[in-house]
Amino acid sequence: MSAFAEVTERKGSRTRKRRVAMEPARAPRAVEPSVSPRERLPYLLDLYPLESPTQTRLAPFFDALREGRFVTTRCRKDGKVLWPPRIVCPACHSGELEWVDLPTTGRIYAFSALLAGAPIGQEAELPLVVGLVELDGSPLRLFGRFLGIDWRECRIGLPVAFEALTLPDGRAYFAFRVKP
Amino acid sequence: MSETREVAVVGGGLTKFGVRPLTWAELAQEAGEVLFRSVPALEASAVDSLFVGAAEPERFAFQSHVAPLVAEQMGLAPHRIVQRTELACASGQSAIRSAYAAIRAGLSDVAVAVGVEKMNLPSMAEANSAMACVLDRPWDAAHGLTAPPFFAMVAQRHMLEHGTTEDQLADVSEKNHRFANSNPTAQFFDKRFDHEKLLRLPMVAPPLRLGDCSSMTDGAGAVVLVAEELVKKYTDTPAWIRGTGQYADFHNLANMESLTDWTGLTRASREAFRTAGVGPKDLDLAELHDCFTISELIEYEAIGLCPKGQGGTFVADGRSDLGGDLVVNPRGGLLGCGHPLGATGIAQAVEVSQQFAHEVDAKRQVPDPEWAMVHNLSGSANVHSVMIYQRGG
Ligand SMILES: [Zn+2]
Repeated sequence: MSAFAEVTERKGSRTRKRRVAMEPARAPRAVEPSVSPRERLPYLLDLYPLESPTQTRLAPFFDALREGRFVTTRCRKDGKVLWPPRIVCPACHSGELEWVDLPTTGRIYAFSALLAGAPIGQEAELPLVVGLVELDGSPLRLFGRFLGIDWRECRIGLPVAFEALTLPDGRAYFAFRVKP
Repeated sequence: MSETREVAVVGGGLTKFGVRPLTWAELAQEAGEVLFRSVPALEASAVDSLFVGAAEPERFAFQSHVAPLVAEQMGLAPHRIVQRTELACASGQSAIRSAYAAIRAGLSDVAVAVGVEKMNLPSMAEANSAMACVLDRPWDAAHGLTAPPFFAMVAQRHMLEHGTTEDQLADVSEKNHRFANSNPTAQFFDKRFDHEKLLRLPMVAPPLRLGDCSSMTDGAGAVVLVAEELVKKYTDTPAWIRGTGQYADFHNLANMESLTDWTGLTRASREAFRTAGVGPKDLDLAELHDCFTISELIEYEAIGLCPKGQGGTFVADGRSDLGGDLVVNPRGGLLGCGHPLGATGIAQAVEVSQQFAHEVDAKRQVPDPEWAMVHNLSGSANVHSVMIYQRGG
């Protein structure tokens, strides 16, 4: 993963190594906007994550999304692949995590659709098809929105592929495209 | 002070649940009115501690620091412990649990546990956002996860794995709505839902229809808990808290081991049974968290009322109804009463207390109940909170 470098971080008298994004993110690639076209909501009504390095230590996750890559963190001590990405391993409490690629394909394990009662900002997106995806060759089962399918056509077991999204305000997010 | 001082709920009351034309603070005032009317021996000056179960006053009323607000609204001046308890849908039970712990530890003698939630707003989209942020907001809710699609996926998997049917889901809703028809505080007290009607209601999140989902509800309630040596002053039929258990094991959906096997509830209820010294067969009634019909079915299984996968048959055969193995949700449940998050746990305790005192409508009175369980799940069933009560007197 060439986009990441190890840096030494000082905190008080302690130093530690951390992997960070090395290159500036490339320009967002054009993707079908699947999220609300409305302007950004106030932060405390905005469901999407704050992704800038001034707000989160997980900024490399969003930088990777902007490159069309799907990554998460893995603990260097016990090898645990963690979702969502983290900065401290919950199993051994080590802060030495590394970024690893996730499989970008999987199959639908369960699904439903929200037909009424959307949160603010998502009202125009109903019906909103969502579900759990078993990633190919990984024990992870991730929740996400499904693109390109009517909920009446959706089935358990259908293949899906990860897709990076660009939010209207330029932030990065992701969804799964169903391939019936 | 004994180290094993027993604690009882000695009474309480509820406001009307529903879509109410009043503010959060006004609900708290009504809770005070009904509390002092329901427990005539209660003097405000005797209340040394106050626990306020409120899930999201910041979201629903743009108000934090609600414990002193409630004290003021209810005319209380707690001088030992005063705090809010927040555990989303289990916030009310958390208030009772905290009051119980304080009295048992000798830090309080007379504590009031209150639950308040005002959920119907001029902008329901904002209220829906408040509900969405109970879940893992940036990693699950941003994708479109709210409670209905979550419990819909649970239902879908339970149908696939165990053959559960929409008819069996409707059986839960029909039973709980029928009980709510004899509970004047219930949101759907005067609304009839028969089986056929339930199956014709629109889908909210397939396979769940409107009648499978509890509502956004305004409501409040309060109960009094006292130490054993003070019980006689307040009531002849105390509801003794004999056991408790709680379990939290994940937050993001990726870390939920099984959608349909709620092991957290199995652990929490086992701990509650162990501390109470009873088992599932001893229960006469159970107030189980039926936020969605599928929840009640899986709860039967996880608690051990029936084998895994047979929740649907259990309700269809009437085993959780009057005349069955035990009565589940005689109050009307969250489905029939509505679900004002912080007030729900209080309402369940009030029902147990009134059932023990034979004070409820005969159409929902459990015959001579002695043991009762109260359960709340919160969030995506990632926390389970269980308490076991025994009738005294
Ligand atoms: Zn580790």
